[in-house]
Amino acid sequence: MSNKFGFKKSLIVFAVALLSLNMTAKAGAVYDYIQANNELMIATDANWAPFSYIDDDGVMQGFDVDVGREIAKRMGVEARFITPDWDVITAGNWNMRWDVSVGSMTPTASRSEVLNFPATYYYTPAAFAVHTDSPVTTLAGLNGKNVCTTAASTWEMYLQGDLDMLNAPAFTYDVTPGTITSLKDGAMCADDTRLGAGVRNDGFIDSVPMIQGAIEAGYPIRFLGDPAFHEPLSLATDLGNNDPELDAELARIIAEMQKDYTLSLLSIQHFKNADGTSEDYTLAY
Amino acid sequence: MFVDTVIEDKALHKPVFLIGLSVTVLAIFFALNFTNTLFGEFLRPVIGDPTESGFFGRLAVSLVLTIIFVLNLLAISFTRLKVQILIVWVELLLLFLAFAYSFDLKMSFIQSRIPLMISRGLFTTIYISAISIVIATVIAVIGAIAKLSNNGFAYAISSFYTSLFRGLPLLLQLFLIYKGLPQLGFMVDAVPAAITALSLCYGAYMTEIFRAGIQSIPKGQWEASRALGFKFNLILRKIILPQAIPIIIPPTGNQFIAMLKDSSLASVLGVWELMYLARTLGQRDFRHMEMLLTAAMIYWALTIVLEVIQARIEKKYKQKS
Repeated sequence: MSNKFGFKKSLIVFAVALLSLNMTAKAGAVYDYIQANNELMIATDANWAPFSYIDDDGVMQGFDVDVGREIAKRMGVEARFITPDWDVITAGNWNMRWDVSVGSMTPTASRSEVLNFPATYYYTPAAFAVHTDSPVTTLAGLNGKNVCTTAASTWEMYLQGDLDMLNAPAFTYDVTPGTITSLKDGAMCADDTRLGAGVRNDGFIDSVPMIQGAIEAGYPIRFLGDPAFHEPLSLATDLGNNDPELDAELARIIAEMQKDYTLSLLSIQHFKNADGTSEDYTLAY
Repeated sequence: MFVDTVIEDKALHKPVFLIGLSVTVLAIFFALNFTNTLFGEFLRPVIGDPTESGFFGRLAVSLVLTIIFVLNLLAISFTRLKVQILIVWVELLLLFLAFAYSFDLKMSFIQSRIPLMISRGLFTTIYISAISIVIATVIAVIGAIAKLSNNGFAYAISSFYTSLFRGLPLLLQLFLIYKGLPQLGFMVDAVPAAITALSLCYGAYMTEIFRAGIQSIPKGQWEASRALGFKFNLILRKIILPQAIPIIIPPTGNQFIAMLKDSSLASVLGVWELMYLARTLGQRDFRHMEMLLTAAMIYWALTIVLEVIQARIEKKYKQKS
């Protein structure tokens, strides 16, 4: 997916590097590049149904993917998706491999050292899930237990007790696990949890829609208590190639999509509850 | 292997060995305890409810399994060698299929994803591996010659190269190239980064293989050629390499097979090759085992093809010499 334009793009980046003789591109460079190339390169981890996944025909689908397509459409350019691992995206230093992350990223103080967060586009609750046979019935019941989560995620920061979210609703640390098992993505945690309570972990934390999807797929797991915290989810751009023009354009488009209810409609289309009702996650808590 | 003309009795047909084997197998089956599996269900008329059959049930199940196992071995031992090989292959394959079947796979799910896995995943895997194999071979030839030369610079550079790239894990090299080079101003995308890492890593291993292959040709061959007044290039091309290649081919084939599977490391960079699709396609429906096993079968089939090609080439060179 990302191979075809490697050479062309590398030439341009190399030229930019030579001209400016340092690695920080000038303001507006990324946005100009997008317009010149008529293509918005969007990074999103494809391992996260219903946010982003690959369908039977090999096409990217999901809430994040639809939002990304809409942003590109309103910019008047083509959308192109790149699917690196989550921790490669959050690490920053993209070097113009892609222009923007439309990947449900929570703005945190530590991430803002390497990334910009131009616009928050929705909010999801994070919740704990345990095996249906698990004796644990309250969040406090997971204290001292082995809890699974995704590496480099806000859920991991929550478990570690240093979640430094920006502009987020207040929350409390209700669970202090004895062991934190950090895996590559939430689905691996769900696969471990379904083996049984306490086999590989005693439970895991992920976003409510993801857990809902696993339950609908027949996983023997259940939600534990109320959602632990609510997180704002934002677009992200690279601070290394800081481009205020691109950030302003992204913020303008998201505001527009909120105003004409495009975001709400996409949320209702992708996020279903257990009883079949739809969920609009685009409203702030 | 050396074919011995002294034919001994088959070990299986000696009573002491047979009894020893039976007892060992019985102990293993007893320790693993198959009572609560399908085998226990089969013996339900004898041992009653498997979950409540206790020590007697466990022993009975182990005993029956042991008898089946040993009788199977005995039966196979009376057939001809080729038939033996075939039967054992088929039986192991059936065991593997039973292992796969036990995951309760959804075949329609696999069928709907297979076209994408082959057209996109297998294609990407093959072209990444093929390009890397070609580059690695070129690197290996140059590296081996440099390592054998009397030129201090050439030797130092090539020995430093093989030491460094054999000394680092391939995944680490991949990250160094993918994340490190852009900081120096060289922008590499995921696929070129993967190809570079694979070529450099396997080039280093193959340099050593080529070097050893060339060195295994007796010194007399060089001296004789020199005495005839041949130039270095000509000796290498016409005298040394033709003798060294049959020695080089088997380990090189191994490297190709290993590289084919190590190309799966490109999946961490988000390249849509076989391993990446195997991990990702089952995602929405939470059916991971289906996709992983499908990818396993595709990798295996691909490896078998390479093994056959390797065997053909080896045979060809054997005939020549």
